[in-house]
Amino acid sequence: MAAPSTAGLGRRLRAWLPRIMPVRWSRYNPSYLEPEVKTESYQKPLEELTEEEREQMELKAVRPIKAAPPSLSSSVFSDPMVSKFTNMMMKSGNKVLARSLMSQTLEAIKRKQLEKYHKAPENEKETIECNPYVIFHQALKNCQPIIGLSNITRGGKTYQVPVPLTDNRKRFLAMKWLITECRENKHRRTMMPEKLSQELLLAFNNEGPVIKKKHVLHKMAEANRAYAHFRWW
Amino acid sequence: MAAPAYPAWVTRWVSGQWRNKKRPPALRPPRTLALADKVANRREQLAEATCITEMSVMMACWKLNDFNDAPCAQEIRMFYDCVAKAEKERKNQNGDTQSSRGNLPSSKVNKLLKRFPQMTRYV
Repeated sequence: MAAPSTAGLGRRLRAWLPRIMPVRWSRYNPSYLEPEVKTESYQKPLEELTEEEREQMELKAVRPIKAAPPSLSSSVFSDPMVSKFTNMMMKSGNKVLARSLMSQTLEAIKRKQLEKYHKAPENEKETIECNPYVIFHQALKNCQPIIGLSNITRGGKTYQVPVPLTDNRKRFLAMKWLITECRENKHRRTMMPEKLSQELLLAFNNEGPVIKKKHVLHKMAEANRAYAHFRWW
Repeated sequence: MAAPAYPAWVTRWVSGQWRNKKRPPALRPPRTLALADKVANRREQLAEATCITEMSVMMACWKLNDFNDAPCAQEIRMFYDCVAKAEKERKNQNGDTQSSRGNLPSSKVNKLLKRFPQMTRYV
């Protein structure tokens, strides 16, 4: 008596599919692995691999792999930091413009450094760095704050408490400061590559307004070091 | 002959319980005398701030060197190491459910109790 009705119910439930499939919160099954895009890792002969790399290869043969996002590239010229910076410069999805600005910035850096190189006397020529990527990375590293401030409320009052920052947050702050500095505090008619290359070169030499902003943050953290005990992590 | 149905007070009076000073039950439990499946939410004791010494050493170095990062590289590296270690310990600790520092937090206790509820009826 109960069995036929439950079987019918099961059949009716299986036939029903929702007309709307939820996509917003969908995610890969945790068993999916990240794709490996660098070609160098596939060109190594089998003997040179370490134990863990061999295990990783065997795991990859069995587990499914996520689709590679379009921003991930296997080219030797792609740099994740440069891509991140380009994305932060992008406005309303205009990636073409952001990428062209970025390449013009790097070109401007190279031109300025080459000019300096050719004008410098012989003994100083080695000290001048001409690789724009090296300058970019070093400038960003010089701009990263080491300690940040966070608002913590105790007894009704909000205090600025010095707090260690994660790597992602440091990188984000450095890039954000550079871009806002270039967008807001410069003459309206200067082009972005020109402004950015100037800022990057100043930051590379530990000068300029972005480094000053970082120092101001450090000074505030140092002034508020008494409140450091309000942290609970 | 069926047993005559007297009202309850008659039976009780006749049995002489009241004369033997029988009291009504002193405890009338408003709820069932069984453990509930959850614990009250207790305000969790906050942990202390980590890496304060490294931070103060780094700040002292900054004060001496006018906030330049180059001369203070050693202190900065020590601060970063301390922060990384504290972060790793926090991640491990979250998995071990903090049983080292006294009792479990009430949220975790509630989750466990929900998995193993009180038996309400005989199975």
